[in-house]
Amino acid sequence: MSVLRNRWLHAALGLLLGGLFLYAAFYKVLDPRPLVTIIWGYRILPAGPINLMAIYMPWMELLAGLGLVTGCKRRAAAFWAAVLLLMFEAALGINALRGVNVACGCFSASADEVHNAWLLVLRDLPMLAAALVLLLLPPSRRGNPARSEQPAGS
Amino acid sequence: MRKLARDAALYLVLALLLGSAANLLPKRQLAWWGKGHEPPLAGLDYDLIDPGSADLERSSLAGVVVLDTRSAAEFAAGHVPGAAPISYTDLDRQWTAALESRLKRASAVLIYGASDETDVEQLLAQELRHRGVPRPQVLAGGFGAWLQAGLPVEGGAG
Repeated sequence: MSVLRNRWLHAALGLLLGGLFLYAAFYKVLDPRPLVTIIWGYRILPAGPINLMAIYMPWMELLAGLGLVTGCKRRAAAFWAAVLLLMFEAALGINALRGVNVACGCFSASADEVHNAWLLVLRDLPMLAAALVLLLLPPSRRGNPARSEQPAGS
Repeated sequence: MRKLARDAALYLVLALLLGSAANLLPKRQLAWWGKGHEPPLAGLDYDLIDPGSADLERSSLAGVVVLDTRSAAEFAAGHVPGAAPISYTDLDRQWTAALESRLKRASAVLIYGASDETDVEQLLAQELRHRGVPRPQVLAGGFGAWLQAGLPVEGGAG
């Protein structure tokens, strides 16, 4: 368990997950309009809030990505990354249960391909795990746990 | 825990501010609520056409306009004969009087993207409808289906 609190692991996970979030957010931030169709395609939200989601979600992805990559308020960034990923998992899972393969809009605002929903659920799991590690197991204040576990004064 | 809640709230406020500010920019604007950007619907905003019929139409009818919504690199690597590249997200810049007149006078407007379920060509079709172009046709399966059907391709190494 202590290895999960290693600060280098956190930096690496932050870079990796943050990079993915930045990549995912880029085109959606530039033009959120195609995202409306993608969210609509999930057939979960009514028409009203779909636009709000398309307006704000890419910015939260971008900010979470920036926070994770730079380490600025990384736990809060990990919190929002986890919230977003849980939301994506739920949306994909619901469609997977329905037997519908959706255009996920995960890494672009234009859904070029329709993916198998279960594969998408599986693909997001490691990202969710990384976000939860960053959120729930912050590194020891004294840095590397190997050192922090040594007796005081060493 | 309190610090986490405070920082998370800060992120939320920032996202709300940035999202709201960005949504005031005209070219990427969405209605805040409801039906600002209705999803395009087959039969209303566009008709689907299979690759074989599209090729027949393109090669036998005069005045068919074919539009390719893929990236410039994909277009350069090969496209439907006679197709013109067009970017949905950059449509305002490309929208000239000449293009408008050509589209409105066309016997048919055929739009395609990369593959099946590409939504950009459907959005483009919807946008063209809003601009007064007769209902466009969207190539079912996109350029991938065109290739699979063994239909002629223009440009590219081959």
